[in-house]
Amino acid sequence: MPPRVFEETVLPHLDAAFNYARWLTKNEAEAEDVVQDACVRAMRFFSSLRDDNARAWLFTIVRNTWYSRVSRRATAAEATLEDTARDERPDDAPDPEARLLQQHDVARVRAALEELPVDFREVLVLREIEGLSYKEIAAVVRVPIGTVMSRIARARERLLAALKPSARMETLP
Amino acid sequence: MNCEDVERNLDAYVDRELDAGADTAVRDHLAGCADCRRKVDERQALGRLVRSAPYYPAPEGLRARVSAATSRRAWGRHLVGWAAAAVLVLSVGGGFALWRSAAARGDAMVDAVVGSHVRSLMADHLFDVESTDQHTVKPWFLGKLDFSPPVVDLAPIGFPLVGGRLDYLGGQPVAALVYARRKHTINVFVSPERDEAFRGIDTRSVRGFHVHHWTRDGMSFWAVSDVNDAELTEFVHALQTS
Repeated sequence: MPPRVFEETVLPHLDAAFNYARWLTKNEAEAEDVVQDACVRAMRFFSSLRDDNARAWLFTIVRNTWYSRVSRRATAAEATLEDTARDERPDDAPDPEARLLQQHDVARVRAALEELPVDFREVLVLREIEGLSYKEIAAVVRVPIGTVMSRIARARERLLAALKPSARMETLP
Repeated sequence: MNCEDVERNLDAYVDRELDAGADTAVRDHLAGCADCRRKVDERQALGRLVRSAPYYPAPEGLRARVSAATSRRAWGRHLVGWAAAAVLVLSVGGGFALWRSAAARGDAMVDAVVGSHVRSLMADHLFDVESTDQHTVKPWFLGKLDFSPPVVDLAPIGFPLVGGRLDYLGGQPVAALVYARRKHTINVFVSPERDEAFRGIDTRSVRGFHVHHWTRDGMSFWAVSDVNDAELTEFVHALQTS
């Protein structure tokens, strides 16, 4: 596979790869290391890129790279998803967007998103920020589409609960 | 659909992942159910909120390191390619192999020209010297190269000179002159002619980029851009006759 094709296919997605890695790791320096390793891997495995979706393919490699680093350091505890789905129903809200937007600046949203377990955080980032379809997310995260759907649903419930002006709010920085 | 069914499909509905039938069923239910409508609104509002979270673009240093890392590997592969070509020449011998290797060198050069053009746009390193004045750009190369590239401004015919930089092609330093055409960029690589293999190359199109090559007074010129070929031809003709 000629190297120039790699440069033109993969490098345009470097920002997206870094954004994803940054949200996974919550750490600038680590995200840089992950993306750099991932790009070297991507170069090596470039011939395994079958379809046109280089961005989702790169996300998969970024994710694998990060997981192998995390498990090597045996800090996977942070990365595992403890299954404690809350069923906090939203209370009455005449204009939910206005209310949410009034009370939450960007820093708060970021903090709330970072507080989510990584399995929830990443599906929201891939869906809302990167605009991937459920099918693409399923391929990146390597779970069935049904699991993607339920993770997204629960991630949103948690985030809503965290951002609501309720008792849980005070726990946010 | 009742509220329970809708609730199960709420996120897929918001994300437009339902098939047409289910999508319509949810929509019908929403029309008559303020409660479920509120949940949809809430999720859409949340989506907008999440999209307002910071987007972290790759730091410049990382981009440079990745480019360097991947092109180092690329260079390694190149050497393997050259070694293979050399073996071919030695083992097969004769004119055919020599012709083939010249053609392969030409192809590799065209690829390098396009690659260099793309890199200059991606890495945001288009200029070392940014100027529309040919009398600023030409002297800038003095002392940096062992030749002096001819520099002309073609602003009068709609191709303003915008700057220049040092670049490398096939391992040799070259002068890169940058011209603009509307929002498009044209790179012109100039160096002393070193390989007659490229003489046969006139114009090529590679992955949406047009490449023109010519020689003049012992100098080799490569023009590359994504402007349409008619315009690039006009540009090249103007350079050749200036």
